Amino acid sequence: MSDSVDRRRRLLLGAALSGIASRAFARAEAPVRPAPAPSSRRMEPLKHVDADVLNIAYYEEGPADGPVAILLHGFPYDIHSYVEVTPRLAAQGCRVIVPYLRGFGATRFRDPATPRSGEQVAIGADVIALMDALGIPRAVLAGHNWGGRAACVAAALWPERCSGMVTVNSYLIQDLARAMVPISPKYEVALWYEYYFQLERGRAGLAANRREIARLLWEQWSPKWDFDDAAFERSAAAHDNPDYVDVVIHSYRHRFGHAAGDPHYADLQRRLASLPPIAVPSVTLDGDKDGVLPASDGSASAPKFTGRRIHRVVPGAGHNVPQEAPEAFAAAVMELIKA
Amino acid sequence: MPYCETQPGSFAVTEKTAAPAPHAPSSKRLEPLRQVDAGVLSIAYYEAGPADGPAVMLMHGFPYDIHSYVDVAPQLAAQGCRVIVPYLRGYGPTRFRDPATPRSGEQAAVGADMMALMDALRIRRAVFAGYDWGGRAACVGAALWPERCIGLVCVNSYLIQDIANAMAPLRPEREVALWYQYYFQLERGRAGLAANRREIARILWTDWSPNWPFDDACFERTAVAFDNPDYVDVVIHSYRHRFGLADGDPQYADIQRRLSALPAITVPTITLDGEGDGVAPATDGTASATKFTGRRVHRVVSRAGHNLPQEAPEAFVAAVMELIKA
Repeated sequence: MSDSVDRRRRLLLGAALSGIASRAFARAEAPVRPAPAPSSRRMEPLKHVDADVLNIAYYEEGPADGPVAILLHGFPYDIHSYVEVTPRLAAQGCRVIVPYLRGFGATRFRDPATPRSGEQVAIGADVIALMDALGIPRAVLAGHNWGGRAACVAAALWPERCSGMVTVNSYLIQDLARAMVPISPKYEVALWYEYYFQLERGRAGLAANRREIARLLWEQWSPKWDFDDAAFERSAAAHDNPDYVDVVIHSYRHRFGHAAGDPHYADLQRRLASLPPIAVPSVTLDGDKDGVLPASDGSASAPKFTGRRIHRVVPGAGHNVPQEAPEAFAAAVMELIKA
Repeated sequence: MPYCETQPGSFAVTEKTAAPAPHAPSSKRLEPLRQVDAGVLSIAYYEAGPADGPAVMLMHGFPYDIHSYVDVAPQLAAQGCRVIVPYLRGYGPTRFRDPATPRSGEQAAVGADMMALMDALRIRRAVFAGYDWGGRAACVGAALWPERCIGLVCVNSYLIQDIANAMAPLRPEREVALWYQYYFQLERGRAGLAANRREIARILWTDWSPNWPFDDACFERTAVAFDNPDYVDVVIHSYRHRFGLADGDPQYADIQRRLSALPAITVPTITLDGEGDGVAPATDGTASATKFTGRRVHRVVSRAGHNLPQEAPEAFVAAVMELIKA
């Protein structure tokens, strides 16, 4: 099958399109879905590396000399968002690195005194620190949710380290200066957890009910995704990390200006405040069933992408696009690898 | 069966002899309004029924208005009650008399307003009946001024807030329904309420009363009450104060201190839960039983949602009349 030719054609075609046209284009390439991997499959064994303030746990697969793809998970998920993306990319020759973000899984802070910040710049800097620790000069950075934000931050501030970017929900760098501007109430409802986490009641609730809250969010955000208990628990175990509550609460308070950032990252956060554009080649994906960030046609975020950028709406997918539509996600990464 | 007894009290339930009356059309309004100075407010209220009849205070909630009682009020008046249906502070044509008065929405204030209205109208005793904020006002009045209260009808049982425990989380599925309360803690929520008061109210109506097919005219008849200039301030203060995140108005400090002990309600009481209530799920009444030291009957009203007097007026009227006749 002329898969690579077809991808190249789509890349060129996609680059020539924008706005509504790219949405129509996306619909034309609805991925065929093979049977998903069983929920018992785990991304193991993990490796561990000291990287700046963290000891990062990560999964690695694929040839050591292959082009590198770093796959970044979100909240409240874990590396198993990439359980099906990873082997696909490895089979096509990529060196795939899938780290646990700060506060998740087996990743740990090296110093008990380090603030448990969940701010955007910290998770972006963590990606660069991991690349430094592993001696990786450049990689495709791909992510969703917090992980998509980490990819955006790294791509914007360290473009020389990023050969391409795949994100779900387009440009994710937070505009803290406008955090108090309301959006349509029907979308505010979906952000209930963000508002809940502003209160100490929300911190106590997250600490006591992390699985129940995560499961509610999985269900709300991915209404068409038929995950089972084992798939949920495989990821939810990552939320038992001792820093999970602190990092999550700080993340959601910082983005509304209700928590100070870690001074260690103050200079970088200042640079993010200008909402820097992303110049590296990018593929942005929206799940058309995303229950928290509704699918867009990509046009509103277009000025933030100054390089080549393709936007696609993935039919049937919710917020956890890499786990729900691994073919579409893997295809996006491979297009950037091969470009 | 319109409702089921889940915890029979010591007095008999009135058997209903007539079929439920058809609901009033959405074009019907509770008019004309009267206006009276009462405490810090000039209160707008609707009155019906004989001036010498037993008085009933019908207290609305958020985000609703007096039209929650559009069917209840005439039915009670027809049975001889003097019915008073006030707009709460921050709603409709009710106004603060002094621009300097804090726009508090705290429980002590809405309870004190009801007592001030009774004083202004020289009503010595009345049945206090309400739901949501209005049920809370009724509970506050019944708990602190039992000599003024013939009996209490309240949706969702005991509603006096335990602010000292406001930071104790509920089950997450319950917390989801309180999204607006968390939203209102942020200045974003204040701005959102100011900009989108109708849209937010409509979402809450729909979520809280999943079986209630209200129409646009019915919604808009009530939503104009949210154009009150104090609505946003009062609502935001109410939801911040209950979490201990806004100070109370000092003039209600003594009342709030007494409320913080979660005083028992001694007057005869009927509590109603809507089986379909989407924000405060129906209970069997046992958890709140210790808060009612007098006669108390608890009922679950089938299909009704959170706006119980408007959704199930017959059940609400029957409860009030049982207390009047007891």
